[in-house]
Amino acid sequence: MVQNRNKLIDLFIGNTSNAVVHKILEEAIDDEVIRKYYDKEFLNSIEIAKTYREKINPVNGPLPEKGIDNIKNKIISNVTNDLNIRVSKSYENIKFDLIESTVNKMLIEMKVINN
Amino acid sequence: MIELISKISKGTKMDQIYISKERLPGFEVGTTVLIKPIIEKMKTKPLYYNISNIEPTKVIIIEEILNYFEYIDNVIITGSFLEKGFDFEDIDVILITDKKIDNSNTEIRFKKRFGINVHIISMDFKTLLKGINTDPLFQLMLSKFVSKKRVIFKTKNKINYKLLDLHLLKSKALIDNFDFLAGKEKYKMTRNLFAISLFMDNKKINTEVIDNKINEHFGKNTVKNIKENLVEKDFLNKYKSSYNRIFNKILDGIKNGSKQK
Repeated sequence: MVQNRNKLIDLFIGNTSNAVVHKILEEAIDDEVIRKYYDKEFLNSIEIAKTYREKINPVNGPLPEKGIDNIKNKIISNVTNDLNIRVSKSYENIKFDLIESTVNKMLIEMKVINN
Repeated sequence: MIELISKISKGTKMDQIYISKERLPGFEVGTTVLIKPIIEKMKTKPLYYNISNIEPTKVIIIEEILNYFEYIDNVIITGSFLEKGFDFEDIDVILITDKKIDNSNTEIRFKKRFGINVHIISMDFKTLLKGINTDPLFQLMLSKFVSKKRVIFKTKNKINYKLLDLHLLKSKALIDNFDFLAGKEKYKMTRNLFAISLFMDNKKINTEVIDNKINEHFGKNTVKNIKENLVEKDFLNKYKSSYNRIFNKILDGIKNGSKQK
């Protein structure tokens, strides 16, 4: 059971990281029309993360304090690494300062942490 | 049946219809006649693009949707709904209009009417063309469609590497969630990956071309096996290397693009 829970948390972290990367990259695109349109795509990618969250207890409330920092730090670290790969290839306009607030917003939305 | 055509004209207390005194038998004074407008509401005749065969039930739904949007400049119905059979998720409807329209109530109405999710987006023609030229999935989606009015797309792939990077992220989920995804989801992600690859090679994109490419790359019957969720780790390994190759190509494109600035 513990193993299952850890696996689910890992999957949740991976998919949420992906969704945050998507959100930050969207902001890096200059075209307003395109950005608006792809906001819907971002919603799709977060759906996968939500399905894992729904399998992690407690489902309707925040996760225990002990694990929250670990989840949050892992997501921030994954996102930062992914974005750094892009920066190393001269990708411009990436707003690293949005990472933490976007992660927080998503974790609140998915009832991992309290508002 | 004998018919006469005349116009309603304005009277003082009542309006009237005048008919000639020299007329065919059957219209004698005192005869009761039926009056009805001759111009009935024009029914839309859908125009099908790259669709050779479609189920009659779908035709009824298509006509009803197109007729509903009679005041919209043009309407396009597309997506998996137009593929053979009934294994589709929803109906994609694109309203081509300059007006900003909130479609949420219409989506609910159609859901009640057909029992199917109808996803409606509104955009002007310029934005639609931009989507087709820059987005491989958009191009894939519009390789087959039904429209209210004739429409011609002159596509010219315009590569926006940042946008392709964003698209490619959708296919990353297959690597991270391979053991947990359904066959249908795996197929969508693989299709997305190869649509991007073909788009970068300036190739034409449609379902058949992509499916052939997947089968060519992974082996015979792979498309069928992905859909039935029968692919295993060797598929995943090959997928990972394809993903990395395409990702690196996109990043190189971003790098070269920024050098050119």
